[in-house]
Amino acid sequence: MKKLISIGLSTLLLAGLAACSSSTPSESETAAPSAAAEKNELVMALAVDPDGLDPQRTTAASTFQITNNIYEPLLTVTDQGELTGALADSWEVSEDGLTLTFTLRENAQFSNGNPCDAEAVIASFQRLKAEDSPRAADYANIVSMEAADERTVVFTTETLDVAALSSFAYPWAAIVDVTVADTLTNQPVGTGPYTLNQWIPQQSLSLTRNETYPGTVNIDNIEFRMMPDAASQISAFQNGELDIISVSGDQVAAFENNPDYNVIQAPANSLQLMAMNLDNEALADVRVRQAINYAVDKDALIETVWWGYGQKIGSHYPTVLKEYVDHSEDYTYDPDRARELLNEAGYSDGLTLQMYLPQNYTAYVNAGQVIADQLEQVGIHCEITIVEWATWLSDVYTNRQYDLTVVGHTGRLDPYVLLARYDSQSGENYFNYSNPEVDQLLSDYQSEQDEAVRTQIVQQIQAILAEEVPALYIQDPISLYVTQSDVEGFTTYPIDIYEMKNVRFVQ
Amino acid sequence: MIKIFGKRLISALAVLLVVSLITFFVLKWIPGDPAQLILGTEASQESLEALRESMGLNLPWTTQYWNWLVNLFHGDWGSSYIYGESVRTLILQRLPVTFSVTIFSMVIAVPLSALIGILAALFKDSPFDVLSRSLMQLGTAIPSFWLGMIFMIVFAAQLKWFPVTGYTPPSEGFFAFLHSIALPSIILAIGEMGVLIRLFRSSMLSALQQDFMQSAQVKGLPRAMAIVKYALRSAIIAPITVIGNQTAKLFGGTVIIETIFALPGIGRLLLTSVEQRDIELLQGIVLFITFMVVFINLITDLLVAAANPLIRMETGGKES
Amino acid sequence: MKKKKITVILGAILISIILLLCVVSFFWLPFDPDRMDTANRFALPSMTHLLGTDQFGRDVLSRIMIASRSALLVGLCSVSVGALIGLVVGAIAAMSGPRLQSLIMRVIDGFMAFPGILLAMMLVAVLGKGQINAVIAIGIFMIPSFSRLVYSMILENKTRLHIKAARSYGCGPVRIVVSHIFPDMLPRLITQFSSSIGGAILTESSLSFLGLGIQPPSASWGMMLSEARQYVLSYPFIAIAPGVVLLVAVLGFNLLGDGLNDRLVQRGGRA
Repeated sequence: MKKLISIGLSTLLLAGLAACSSSTPSESETAAPSAAAEKNELVMALAVDPDGLDPQRTTAASTFQITNNIYEPLLTVTDQGELTGALADSWEVSEDGLTLTFTLRENAQFSNGNPCDAEAVIASFQRLKAEDSPRAADYANIVSMEAADERTVVFTTETLDVAALSSFAYPWAAIVDVTVADTLTNQPVGTGPYTLNQWIPQQSLSLTRNETYPGTVNIDNIEFRMMPDAASQISAFQNGELDIISVSGDQVAAFENNPDYNVIQAPANSLQLMAMNLDNEALADVRVRQAINYAVDKDALIETVWWGYGQKIGSHYPTVLKEYVDHSEDYTYDPDRARELLNEAGYSDGLTLQMYLPQNYTAYVNAGQVIADQLEQVGIHCEITIVEWATWLSDVYTNRQYDLTVVGHTGRLDPYVLLARYDSQSGENYFNYSNPEVDQLLSDYQSEQDEAVRTQIVQQIQAILAEEVPALYIQDPISLYVTQSDVEGFTTYPIDIYEMKNVRFVQ
Repeated sequence: MIKIFGKRLISALAVLLVVSLITFFVLKWIPGDPAQLILGTEASQESLEALRESMGLNLPWTTQYWNWLVNLFHGDWGSSYIYGESVRTLILQRLPVTFSVTIFSMVIAVPLSALIGILAALFKDSPFDVLSRSLMQLGTAIPSFWLGMIFMIVFAAQLKWFPVTGYTPPSEGFFAFLHSIALPSIILAIGEMGVLIRLFRSSMLSALQQDFMQSAQVKGLPRAMAIVKYALRSAIIAPITVIGNQTAKLFGGTVIIETIFALPGIGRLLLTSVEQRDIELLQGIVLFITFMVVFINLITDLLVAAANPLIRMETGGKES
Repeated sequence: MKKKKITVILGAILISIILLLCVVSFFWLPFDPDRMDTANRFALPSMTHLLGTDQFGRDVLSRIMIASRSALLVGLCSVSVGALIGLVVGAIAAMSGPRLQSLIMRVIDGFMAFPGILLAMMLVAVLGKGQINAVIAIGIFMIPSFSRLVYSMILENKTRLHIKAARSYGCGPVRIVVSHIFPDMLPRLITQFSSSIGGAILTESSLSFLGLGIQPPSASWGMMLSEARQYVLSYPFIAIAPGVVLLVAVLGFNLLGDGLNDRLVQRGGRA
């Protein structure tokens, strides 16, 4: 019996080999680039592959950066963070704020030719709200969806959510063709400006213009080349093989003031922080947390790890949003004050904490080491463990088995979603932070219709977090991109997406 | 002869089965929940449980192993969580890269090592011999990732003789393809030459001491003729087994060089699968590499048997 | 003959350099190897920092010295683990019946054919990262070469006259191996031990280079190189020192092993 199987196994592997030698060349033939005279292909380097191309079944930014060009949500954002129509031409919010009506653009079609009508939009949202969708909870408030006519969809929410509209502009709210739901991961079908041409993981992913998309598309072909190594990206870029790369602070100097290149820098609308677990006896004491904030020289930290490209923050709020209040100087670097506070809290003999850092994110690993070194100076010893992202997700984030960890949170459009993780009941509250006042403010916010009062609430929460510091808030990073001088129209957005249809070549 | 070969084949298959069992069993103990990984940070307990159920993670591992084997038998090597692609496609996409780097580095290393090794043996204890022995020592001791970095700085970044990293498929021009894998292949070749020069040198030395050399001399054949006619042949045939083994080893050991030069080969796929806990992908790669190792060694045995029928199959696998 | 002596001496000199770095590190270091000086990073070698500073302004020489401890520790421990288990496995294989013998040797051959770094990576994937797991992983992949050596040496000796004599006096297999065969094997074992350490140090640094071995903030040569790699095009010099030290260590143990092999083992034996 055993013998039989093992023989079968080997013939199978042999068959696989044979299949390989015959299929690989044909595959690469189709991929052969046409050395066309006119420039209609743009090449951009990415560090990592997308986590599949199904925007409704992942939380990875690397996926949304690409899928945003293949699918469309009903709405999208401008580079200034304002909502604008995408698949929907127009939209309306009822007086009581509970009903949202979207009108789709005429004759909208998926790239496979299927019509994208109101029913298709509803089916797509049902899939987004389904149990195995990681974002299901975000859309649980939508209790009914109706197709008023072919082009009109009416959403009804259960409770008033003043920011509901922005939730239709995120890349995961993209409209997908549910009839091919099972294969979206590697054969995406959407209504966006591009369709997938070919994806060879760890090598390249190419998009080609979607003929059924009615809007303006400047460049016909986009290729994303996967290059994990910054050094190789830069040298390929300098050889002219790439049109756009993302760079880190130490590399940007090589491109500044050079007419051959454009440097693009903009706040990334995200937050980088060192979270503290308030379940730890020492960290439950606000004085210890404040001591940590006094002990770390944020300016030196940002300079060392991000080469100064970042905006220092003092609370859980990105600098680009309009409700932002500057708390970055609330705890100026003062190691003596830190030692005093530790003494008061009863840790004059020192304190040992477990710090977990996610391996894939070099910057966070570096930042963690710099912070640990600075904490050592005031008598807090950090035992550093570097964990893989998978382990970080399960042990640190979900099970909250940590004392300190350095991580980033990506940008959101809506203040509530950004701050909701500080609700004592939130599943995402990995700080184990609990403050009835904050809980109350968060629930007030959701039912408050008055814009001015809402802003006030958000600023109040910012102030409380800045005072009680459940984390060491580090910075809102600055994204840095360099393009060849003939590339125009590449901009950054307050959510982590690329909009390749706007990019064009100039002479 | 055929009987012995059949025996070898069966034992090779047994090795494959055992390795598959071990990898499957061992990888079950890797910490981290694949379902959690797929769904990310914001999934509910219910959806996690549903996914675990549908992925068959709740079944006893013996059943999971059996299902995996049966699927393998049907051509389904499983699918990767991170890429959503079938494991088979992913491996086969990368095979050409790893394969060409391996072969190219052997193409560089073998003739060069043979030349250096044989000359060193002929002129034993000469300055050339000392030089070749130093080269041999350096080749085995030099860390490939360090050499890779140094070569990258000097030959790619400064002199711009080679592209810094990346891979150009042969379809975009054979020269561009060779150019893109040249630097990594040379670095691998240097490491291999450490082993191979030693091998050719000692093989030639022992060939020179063989009876046929003496009898040739007694017969009055000039030494040079005897060397060309007899010693050279035996000095080249003997190392075939080790060259085969080394090729097989090299094939599975390209991970470091692929990482440095950002080559999309099997090694990098393996590293990603280890880092991302993509168990099915990891299993597939390990089994595939094992298969290649066993397969190359089998071919080597066949070659040796064809080249020299006098070499008994049993002694074929021994080193040093 | 003289040349072989040179090999041993050269090997010994190189190893002494590393040992010196390691021993001195227990009494004196130029700087605290973990202390960052962020205002002073990527400093070129100078009188203050003999080998310059790294991306956090840490003194490179101090880190190299500290890292020599873990390199030697991992090298020695893993080879000891591998040698001990390999000895036992090899002896069992050699002294047991033909069935078990061929089974054990088949498995060992399988392991030998397997690429070392792949095996180590798989083990690390299962065991987790870190220094102790690196020792275990490298130790495991040292087992086959030692058991093979022990196995073949015991088989060679089994037929020798004094062993046959001992057996006829009623000595058990364990006693024969320990008191009669083992002394004969010692020189070869020592040789193998020395050259394996070089390989173990190289594997440890490869693992650390891939981020699977020793973890920051502890220092390891492989990790220093992997950190240097991020900045290698802007600051090439930080990639030089750790690589040279690593090369010296591996070369030292390899040369010593080879030299000893020529002197202790091959008194006119095989090449």
